[in-house]
Amino acid sequence: MPTHVLVARAALPFLVSLLLALLLHFGVARFLDDYDRGLVMSVGINIMLAVSLTMVNGFTGQFSIGHAGFLGVGGYVAGAVTYATSLKLYGDLETRGSMLSGTSLNVDPATLSWFGQGDLLFVASLLAGGCAAALIGYVVGLPSLRLRGDYLAIVTLGFGEIVRVLIQRTDKTAALQAWDRVHPGVPAPEGVSRVFAIENSVLDPATGLSQTTYTAVSDANWFEIAPRVGGSLGFSAVPDYTSIFWVVLFAGVTIAVASRIKRSTFGRAFLSIREDEIASEAMGVDTVRYKVRAFVIAAFFAGLAGGLFAHFKSMNPNEIGFARSFDIVIMVVLGGLGSISGASIAAIIVTLLPEWLRGLDQYRMIIWALALILMMIFRPQGLLGVREIWDKALWQGLVRFIKREKSSPKAGGGA
Amino acid sequence: MDQLLQAIKDSITIGCLYALIALGYTMVYGILKFINFAHSDVVVIGALSTAVLGERMLHKLAPGATAAWYYGPLLLLLAILICSTVAFTVERLAYRPLRRAPRLNVLITAIGVSLLLQNAGQLKFLFGTEPHPVPMLIDQTATIFTVLGVKFRWLDLAIIGTAIIFMVALDYLVFHTKIGRGMRAVSHDTRIASLMGVPVDRIISFTFITGAALAAAGGFLYALRYQTVTQPADTGWALLGLKAFVAAVVGGIGNIRGAVLGALAIACVENFGAAYLHPGYTDVYVFVILILVLLFRPGGILGKAVVEKV
Amino acid sequence: MSTASRQQGGFVEQGFREMSVALAARGVSKSFGGLKAVQDFTLELPTGSLRGLIGPNGAGKTTVFNLLTGVYQPDVGVVELGGQSILGLRPSKIASLGMARTFQNIRLFGELSVLDNVKLACHVRAEQSMLGAILRTAFSRNEEAAIEAKARRLLQLFDLDDRRDEAGRNLPYGDQRRLEIARALATNPKVLLLDEPAAGMNPQEKLALRALIRRVRDEFGVTILLIEHDMGLVMDICEHITVLDHGAVISRGTPQQVQEDPKVIEAYLGVAEESEKQ
Ligand SMILES: Nc1ncnc2c1ncn2[C@@H]1O[C@H](COP(=O)(O)OP(=O)(O)OP(=O)(O)O)[C@@H](O)[C@H]1O
Ligand SMILES: [Mg+2]
Repeated sequence: MPTHVLVARAALPFLVSLLLALLLHFGVARFLDDYDRGLVMSVGINIMLAVSLTMVNGFTGQFSIGHAGFLGVGGYVAGAVTYATSLKLYGDLETRGSMLSGTSLNVDPATLSWFGQGDLLFVASLLAGGCAAALIGYVVGLPSLRLRGDYLAIVTLGFGEIVRVLIQRTDKTAALQAWDRVHPGVPAPEGVSRVFAIENSVLDPATGLSQTTYTAVSDANWFEIAPRVGGSLGFSAVPDYTSIFWVVLFAGVTIAVASRIKRSTFGRAFLSIREDEIASEAMGVDTVRYKVRAFVIAAFFAGLAGGLFAHFKSMNPNEIGFARSFDIVIMVVLGGLGSISGASIAAIIVTLLPEWLRGLDQYRMIIWALALILMMIFRPQGLLGVREIWDKALWQGLVRFIKREKSSPKAGGGA
Repeated sequence: MDQLLQAIKDSITIGCLYALIALGYTMVYGILKFINFAHSDVVVIGALSTAVLGERMLHKLAPGATAAWYYGPLLLLLAILICSTVAFTVERLAYRPLRRAPRLNVLITAIGVSLLLQNAGQLKFLFGTEPHPVPMLIDQTATIFTVLGVKFRWLDLAIIGTAIIFMVALDYLVFHTKIGRGMRAVSHDTRIASLMGVPVDRIISFTFITGAALAAAGGFLYALRYQTVTQPADTGWALLGLKAFVAAVVGGIGNIRGAVLGALAIACVENFGAAYLHPGYTDVYVFVILILVLLFRPGGILGKAVVEKV
Repeated sequence: MSTASRQQGGFVEQGFREMSVALAARGVSKSFGGLKAVQDFTLELPTGSLRGLIGPNGAGKTTVFNLLTGVYQPDVGVVELGGQSILGLRPSKIASLGMARTFQNIRLFGELSVLDNVKLACHVRAEQSMLGAILRTAFSRNEEAAIEAKARRLLQLFDLDDRRDEAGRNLPYGDQRRLEIARALATNPKVLLLDEPAAGMNPQEKLALRALIRRVRDEFGVTILLIEHDMGLVMDICEHITVLDHGAVISRGTPQQVQEDPKVIEAYLGVAEESEKQ
């Protein structure tokens, strides 16, 4: 085959993701209201989370139940990068995006470029978030993946909790404050009444009371601003760069990467660990190394998803707790342990179904829980098992199944 | 000095609470080799039924007054009854069909059961989502004696005393009775135990019931100590369960005496960390200890590392 | 070629050890709790030899395999592969150094297809990076094609190519055993350990297996050590046999010598008598 064909083939899934992202962003999204657009983005983010967790729980058969912790690490790091950089660079928290990510500045949409300075910042902070999550994944995964399977469950759960507790104890974000408060006694420049400032509590040694002072962000350094991510109040100060385009693109890339891995020699190595760890090791697969690798890759994509979330909704410690982690596990299990397409479908269902079942709010989680239990008893392999919707074998099996269904009443009639 | 003694006292009381819960985790793990995520929800049911039934029985009690002495044991008994029934049913309907399934499936089922109990418990006609106050079953304030400035209240004695009674009873049950021998046999090797004529299913049911009774006692004492009980899906509960499980792992999972030891160790880490480092990060200390134990002594304090037969 | 290596084996016994010992264990012991599963076990496999390890049930044969392949660590003793100590290495590292095995209680990757079982075993020799696999570079694509071709060739040799798309666990028992050997060979081993390869096979399959094992040794030039309870098979194909009882070597030599050794007869008869009594 000529080289350009080979290159095109190699790039195909990524190009498809890009095209789909553009199509949805400029086509379908036009017809949706803000709420539905939000839903589409939530679906995409959940697909990323479910597919990434599939690489750990589905491929290698480990059991991680603190995936929301990586969402948290990625989200808070990415969010903090964008937020602190925006404040230092522009002095405000406006979205300076492009046609792909939108803007909150008052400009004519027609004049927007294809890719703005803001997009660069956005993508860079997403990557920073992903890398931070991957790094933490390595630190958490290495000790626990050397041990028996279910210890990982406990360690990941505990890890998620640690992230939550640490986030909860962070300070308020920088916010607009009256000029006089920040610069007492200094006359305000023309037209400026409020400035972004960070709050500091200092203990007055004379009175023993704590006093609040303010430092303008222009006087604070980057490392003073970035760690103040809102504590239990949530982190809503991040500019909203996330758009349908970016979510669909990243979800597509996540799926493409996961399925490329699954179909490669590395995918077989992962699956062999899940099938029989001892045999896998005897065949030369360094099981610890591969388990850690799967874990780190999964953490990276969960971190990216977290970054997208942070630039879309308000991060908040409760978003990254047990409940969120369990939601992701449910998606992976319902879809079929090891199935990328199954996990994606389950992510769509788990995200959208509650919207349709609004009236049943009280019973929603009960239904989920029952579905999970019954699934484990009656169809333990989940919707698709380890298969993919694009596998020929799946459809052949289905055809065989339908044929058998059709032929059996005939046989009954004949007898 | 005061601070040290206070930390020791708190470690013992809280350690007793953790121990009662950790025992249930360790017993089920010892026998079925899976983490029973629904165990913490059984504790919640114990605590909430103490609060709710107590409210019903004692709504006429004057504010500030203490109930008659027999209400405590009565509520404890009821909590044990309710929790045991729940645990028995769960084992029967959800876990038993999966006896031969891969461990991952059982673990997921346990999570499912946990979610089910939490969310069903939130229904209005059960416990609802509001926190429940606990009636005064015991004098909260009167000090019985003071050691070097640390006050001991009736409440502390009740917690430590009840926990010790339950633990001694369990130890007797496991190491000195026929059914206890069955439990140890099943835990050692289920297949061989069943070949030797041990009624495995019955032993497993009994283990769940025993674990639930201990959990009910834990929930009851929790309600007694903290005076309000929050709704079933509060993350605090999952965290309590998680810490108890960590205690079981630290002590050596599957080892009953280890669970008690691990619980005391975890409580010490929390209370000393709170007293001498920073009170806001107790959960962080616990999980750091967990990771250290897993790294350097994966079998726990009393457990031994197992070699899988190939 | 096979006679040549057999002659080399002869030299080994005469003391030119370093040159051509494929695998050596010296003074290896292992106990589980109070049970001494293997005691002071010593064995040398000359390169290209085909040797047997036999003994009554529970003698410690499988434990020896586990010690050689790094699944268990010996309490004392040395294990050398190609003259290099492999003590303390993980099984995967030992596999990459050139030792492969099959398992007594078959350990296939049940959900994976027959073909994927063999392809997975090629992984240890793969050189592509994960990034390459994700980007599907030319190198990665070519290597995947080579893996596929190699796996297919092995499956053809083992008469399993027709069933390559079936899940491993759906194969009949005898096929599963052969698939395990094919899988082990796919790692390009220098030394191959077979744990009861004929167990559960019918007489025809067993006969075919004899030819197959010989062929594997000759065509792939691997050194083979096999555990087997079928004495006909062992005596037929092994050039040299080590007998284990209660964890200790009680006899070693040619099939003829071993068969005539009174200690061996006693060990097996003792077992026979015990089972008769029951
Ligand atoms: N991981 C282990 N823990 C405890 N005991 C073990 C372990 N592995 C093996 N043993 C014991 O060591 C002894 C030798 O076992 P091994 O499996 O090596 O025997 P074998 O010669 O392969 O027998 P068979 O012919 O039945 O396969 C047995 O008593 C066995 O129970
Ligand atoms: Mg054996």
